[in-house]
Amino acid sequence: MVIENSLPVLLSRLDFAWITSMHILWTPMTIGMSWLLFFMELAWLKSGDERWYKLNRFFEKIFIINFGAGVATGVTMEMAFGILYGPFSQAVGPFFGNILGFETITAFMYEAGFIGLMVFGWGKISKGMHLFVTFNVGLSSSLSAMWILVANSWMQTPDGVVLKDGLFQVTNWWHAILNDNFVWGFPHMWVACVELALFVFASVSAWFILKNRHADLFTKILKPTLLALLIVTPLQIFIGDSVGQDVAKTQPTSLAAMEGHFHTYLPDGKPNTNWNLIAIPDVEAGKNLFSIQIPHVLSLLETHTWNGVVTGMDQFPVKDRPDVWVPFYAFRAMVGIGFLLFFVAIWGNVLRMRGQLTATELRKHPWFLRAVIFSGFLPYLAIWTGWWVREIGRQPWVVFGMMRTYEGVSNMSVAQEVVWFVGYIIFELVVWSGAWYFFSRVIQKGVNDIPHSDTLFHGHDEDHEASQAGGGHVAPTFAHKPMMHSDR
Amino acid sequence: MELTTDIVRIVSALSTWWWMILGLMFLLYIALDGADLGAGIFALFSKDEEERGAIMASMAGFWDGNETWLVVAGGVLFGAFPLVYGSAFNYLMIPLMLALWGIISRAIAFEFHIHARSSKKLWGWAFALGSLTAPFFAGVSLGAALQGFPMKSGIAMQGIADRGFTTPVMHYAGGAMDFLTPFSIWTGVGAVIAAGLAGGLFLCARFLPGDVIHERAKSWTNLFSFLALGAIVVTLVWSYAIFPWAAAKWTGPNWWIWAIWFVIVLFFAFKSMTNHSMQHDFTALLWGEGVVVLLWAAMWATMFPYIVPGTWTIHSASNPANSMAVFTLFMTGFVPVMIMYNWYQIWVFRGRFTKKSVYGAH
Repeated sequence: MVIENSLPVLLSRLDFAWITSMHILWTPMTIGMSWLLFFMELAWLKSGDERWYKLNRFFEKIFIINFGAGVATGVTMEMAFGILYGPFSQAVGPFFGNILGFETITAFMYEAGFIGLMVFGWGKISKGMHLFVTFNVGLSSSLSAMWILVANSWMQTPDGVVLKDGLFQVTNWWHAILNDNFVWGFPHMWVACVELALFVFASVSAWFILKNRHADLFTKILKPTLLALLIVTPLQIFIGDSVGQDVAKTQPTSLAAMEGHFHTYLPDGKPNTNWNLIAIPDVEAGKNLFSIQIPHVLSLLETHTWNGVVTGMDQFPVKDRPDVWVPFYAFRAMVGIGFLLFFVAIWGNVLRMRGQLTATELRKHPWFLRAVIFSGFLPYLAIWTGWWVREIGRQPWVVFGMMRTYEGVSNMSVAQEVVWFVGYIIFELVVWSGAWYFFSRVIQKGVNDIPHSDTLFHGHDEDHEASQAGGGHVAPTFAHKPMMHSDR
Repeated sequence: MELTTDIVRIVSALSTWWWMILGLMFLLYIALDGADLGAGIFALFSKDEEERGAIMASMAGFWDGNETWLVVAGGVLFGAFPLVYGSAFNYLMIPLMLALWGIISRAIAFEFHIHARSSKKLWGWAFALGSLTAPFFAGVSLGAALQGFPMKSGIAMQGIADRGFTTPVMHYAGGAMDFLTPFSIWTGVGAVIAAGLAGGLFLCARFLPGDVIHERAKSWTNLFSFLALGAIVVTLVWSYAIFPWAAAKWTGPNWWIWAIWFVIVLFFAFKSMTNHSMQHDFTALLWGEGVVVLLWAAMWATMFPYIVPGTWTIHSASNPANSMAVFTLFMTGFVPVMIMYNWYQIWVFRGRFTKKSVYGAH
């Protein structure tokens, strides 16, 4: 058996996989939705249309809960590298540690410095300043995604470094930062964030239209959302294909695992071009026990030629092969969801072309609305499965081809690993179920309790007094008016 | 030859520079979030959810920014001193995990308490208990780090056979519970007392005189002022007794600097207490934070040239020269920027509350 699958190492992988998987349920929505909030706020300020303001404030409530959950699960991540993978953190410190440092300084803190202003700053700072603040939240969260993807994609394709004195010392910063995998990996993740946020918007809107509550208001946001999705969903499929080709070139074991591709050549010596639709892989024996195959598709997908050679698992020693089950099926789930979401986007735009994107017409297509509601959950699953393909496909390496996973694991006993795992199962599930419960509460309540935007700035005299006051010695500036708005 | 010595000099200058920034980041965390955490400890003794809600609302606009200084400190440690990051966090796995669970409870309580109807009490307690466990276990971690830890090279992981993997890098080599000593438990208690005092001063400055919360926070602060003075003395004597590196410095030829420093600390504490009794609450808070700054700087200076006493020196733990140079070039400029926009955020949300006014809006 490969040592990476022995109990102590497997548990350390599970410990990390669990907290990461639960963390990534929140961050993509923060990243994608902050831009959508920015555009709605911009639309409000440009057009003066109160409906944009209402929609903005409504989705902001979901955003805040989501952000809080992201912070709660994210602080652990910053510490978890050192706790669970200490020797890894030490060895990759000169590059990976630097990048994580960049991330906290230029992105994590940047975001935290503006989020309070965005949420609680309504009416306390000017409209223009508030728009600027929202923009900064969007930019900082996307920057954060970029640095994290720099760090992770470098683990897939560790360019620009040499291993010297037990440390990964950087020889070329540009090669290390713009490493092979990053070039397509970052766009793939960033577009996934936007796609997820758009589908959550569409899903919530469709629910309101189906329930015939604020139906016109939510049709207003559903329209541009569906149009954007018509561009984003095929774009994501194209980018994903490019990532796949890069993986085929740089991480052939990972590709072989996600395609269940064991034999490079057929028994008659010709290249094995068969693509497995489904399979029962047997990693120990190095073959599929059962599979449904389509000839030429694998070569078409990975090399864009009819008979191109795709390196199979048999070209690598057993100790260097990853598990196949998870990458194989997770990959299929991700791709399937990608196409399904594309189909939903087309469906919506066909309705648009027929002029049926109005609240009354849409309610005559309840199955479309139900499909859109359901589509709000699918991007989460696609992001999960995509990352499982990426991380399990890289095994048994933690830094591909250079450092094996077991070499990077901290000094821990199995008992410690179990305590961590059980504790985080409890905490992460409380965060998750709490957040979803309160999402549903916010959605149930609807938009009726959001006050008109005119109420934002009617306390100017008091504000003036407050700005003279400064610190703490003074008049009860906020005693007469609510500190926050009643919708919180 | 000349060039090599120059590079060595530059690297040691840069790593000392980052060692100071690291100290500043930790200081900002304990000074800013300490007050928020302390207010949470205060909320443990609140009689109703209205009061807990008011206390949460009083920090709603900036608690996230304050807490994030801890993440930044972690990022700076990883970016500049990964050898410490990868071994000390391994050593401190259990206390850090428990502190993180406290932070998680607190962070979600902020978002959920507002929306909750029947579960308000649950989230109120999650907030208060999280605010207690986070500083306690952070204090335990600090005390444990001061004691240092054993290291070895090779495979770190327990329970797997050595596969002939070699590396000159030193990993943590002790057990899971090595962190737990009378001293580290004491530093945990000390951290709770310090946070409790900061929280009391913060609540006094944040709520209007005469308000119920202000009244209770006043007597709370009086009690915690004396507890904190006692804790400072106990910690100093205890450290003197068990840490030869600290004793040698404090009684060395520069003993008079330390003595003057201690007098200044006492002066700041005295000013904080007198301002507090005159209800100059914001000024009292600032003098109190001054005590934190002075003590933290003294601790950092006592440890020099070590990051982890007896275990990692600044020099032995720092990244290779080019990584330090890149980190310095691209990141130093952001430090004042970060401080500026955080200050702006706190400034926007300045002012005083009453229990009713914030709660009614919440």
